[in-house]
Amino acid sequence: MPAVSMTVNGKAVTADVDTRTLLVQFLREHLRLTGTHVGCDTSQCGACVVHVDGKAVKSCTLFALQADGAQVLTIEGLATDGKLHPMQEAFRENHGLQCGFCTPGMIMAAVDIVNRKGHALEERTIREELEGNLCRCTGYHNIVKSIAAGARAMGGGAASQQAAE
Amino acid sequence: MSATGIGASVRRKEDQRFITGKGHYTDDINRPGQAHAYFVRSPHAHAKIKNIDAGAAAGMPGVLAVLTGAELAADKIGNLICGWMIHSKDGSPMKMAPHPAIASGKACHVGDPVAVAIAETLAQAKDAAEKVKVDYEVLPAVADPAKAQAAGAPQIHEVAPNNTIYQWHLGDPKAIEAAFGSAKHVSRLDIVNNRLVPNAIEPRAAIADYDSGTDSLTLWNTTQNPHVARLVIAAFVGMAPEHKLRVIAPDVGGGFGSKIFIYPEEVVALWASRRVGRPVKWVAERSESFLSDAHGRDHVTHAEMAFDGEGKIVGLRAKTIANLGAYMSTFSSSVPTYLYATLLSGQYEIPQIYCEVDAVYTNTVPVDAYRGAGRPEATFVVERLVEIGARELGIDPAELRKRNFVKSFPHQTPVIMTYDAGDYDASLKKALELSDYKGFGKRKRDAARNGKLRGIGFSTYIEACGIAPSQAVGSLGAGVGLWESAEVRVNPTGSVEVLTGSHSHGQGHETTFAQLVSERLGIPIENVSVVHGDTDKVQFGMGTYGSRSGAVGMSAIVKALDKVEAKAKKVASHMLEAAEATSYSRTASSPSPAPTSRRRGATSRSTPTSPTSSPARNWSPA
Repeated sequence: MPAVSMTVNGKAVTADVDTRTLLVQFLREHLRLTGTHVGCDTSQCGACVVHVDGKAVKSCTLFALQADGAQVLTIEGLATDGKLHPMQEAFRENHGLQCGFCTPGMIMAAVDIVNRKGHALEERTIREELEGNLCRCTGYHNIVKSIAAGARAMGGGAASQQAAE
Repeated sequence: MSATGIGASVRRKEDQRFITGKGHYTDDINRPGQAHAYFVRSPHAHAKIKNIDAGAAAGMPGVLAVLTGAELAADKIGNLICGWMIHSKDGSPMKMAPHPAIASGKACHVGDPVAVAIAETLAQAKDAAEKVKVDYEVLPAVADPAKAQAAGAPQIHEVAPNNTIYQWHLGDPKAIEAAFGSAKHVSRLDIVNNRLVPNAIEPRAAIADYDSGTDSLTLWNTTQNPHVARLVIAAFVGMAPEHKLRVIAPDVGGGFGSKIFIYPEEVVALWASRRVGRPVKWVAERSESFLSDAHGRDHVTHAEMAFDGEGKIVGLRAKTIANLGAYMSTFSSSVPTYLYATLLSGQYEIPQIYCEVDAVYTNTVPVDAYRGAGRPEATFVVERLVEIGARELGIDPAELRKRNFVKSFPHQTPVIMTYDAGDYDASLKKALELSDYKGFGKRKRDAARNGKLRGIGFSTYIEACGIAPSQAVGSLGAGVGLWESAEVRVNPTGSVEVLTGSHSHGQGHETTFAQLVSERLGIPIENVSVVHGDTDKVQFGMGTYGSRSGAVGMSAIVKALDKVEAKAKKVASHMLEAAEATSYSRTASSPSPAPTSRRRGATSRSTPTSPTSSPARNWSPA
């Protein structure tokens, strides 16, 4: 089995993997980072979104070997020094989750949206950008509010401010 | 009221772990020495299984076993069951066909499991499953419920001639004839309520772990009701005695009804774990979810509504064919009967209602409760009839609804239910105001000028929530009492644990139930933990579905809190050498001042305006 090396949440990791091992399997089964979920295994639901070299990627659709040498960030690496990331805080403050299964992928996708689109996100932009993330509980409304608030907080604004709707 | 009590806006206690990726869903759990299961499923809707050659698969790398229905039968593993008895109008019991966890003899729907491969890794199990050779003789199939009872339709189960499970009815067939005979107008409707796939975002999963040292089994399972799963798997499937089977439902990623039921896959995981002597994990792929999670709805209905000369409804009759799929799932029989026909009165005063329901087998995935289960199907029928009636009678649909609303309570419908209270006019009035119903004509004309078609529609809705009490559901055929259990433990240091038979899979019980305790005992929710989803921790439970956690589960917690309070009063009375207060009647919802530590033992719920509630009286010496 070939060896794969990458940096996950700031830590260098190396392992021998079956060539068909998906990135999500590598994270969940080899590294025990089970916060990244598999909801559909067909890259539709977005529960498995992580960042690879700064970009949101559906980790069920990438082989671990394709991420060789990459910087990978998962939901477990988002909070720093015991302090929640503003987007995590925004989801909690705005009741942006219920069963929690889609939440890690939602939060990772949300941070990516802010990285690409900035801190002042219109509701329409958020809804369009969330096309690749499915939630069965919330009806999305509070997720959209959470992301708008989290985006502002990432820019230094208040997370508790009402979303622009 | 406590600052974190009922009605307070608090942060959810469960969110910290979910937003940081620290939840524990079934697939996040791994057992030492764990093997993996992958199912071989029928690609045919209806096929005789002539032969299964698992020889090549069994010799593949890492394969521990390849098991089929033959081994399942040899090990005397029992069938899955439907737990709600429905009798046909002729008095005969429903025709429940055998439902083995792995198909034996023939496969009855696409996705029906025909074999399972157990291997060291999931990839090896998948490779082995691909090598299982199944020799099928494809049989004619029927998928359309409206065609299942036709002469010449393929017969799916011997016990159910014409694929008919039951022919049930509710109401008075003679009285309905009379009502329709007196009618000035009858509106008619043929309607399909299409089948759907529930698709909780977390796929179903199971890990079974057999402990040969104690001859006991533990099952981690994506279930909405672990105790009922244990009961069925012990009592009917016969996997293990109830006290030798522990079922744990950890964090569960949504259910929507589809995780109420007891499925073949968890039965097979348990059985396989005992056979191979290793923990066995199975996780559904999304395509498997489509083929194996119980589906919802699938009704074909003809319905009629009779009106008098003033637009008052004088009768409603419906004939529904309900597709239950290839096997009867756990609660499937109750959905198109007592959860459906009993809601056909909607919010309206309808003197006579008669409903006939034929439940049929088809070569499709089993159908069971999904979001509302039967009740939305009933509302769809009633509201469409009212809408058609309004158009045919030339009466404004809002006005026709108002004219027929139940206005005096309690109201006994002709279909079992008694409505204790309601104000349907007020809700409709509010909806009409919010939607600017009066201004719709203008908006429609404006839209037409822009080449657009604009429509408006609304629906009234009533739902029987809670699926209880036990006496009521028992009288209607439920095989289990639909009560709930609760235990409230006060630790020596004053923190509180609530053990509940309800199960949270997104509802937020850890917060809501803690708020109830906070409200009653005056402690912050941070000092309350809610334990659920483990048959070894919680004494018993009927689980969460049908909006029953609040109505039934929290009621049980209130009862337990009453006992805690009564005991606390005795203890306080002894310690403080004071008589217990006996003259207070309280309800869980009445407001109270924040209790002080001194008063808490005697009366945490006293009302400040009541003269009998003064601390001086409470604490007068005995």
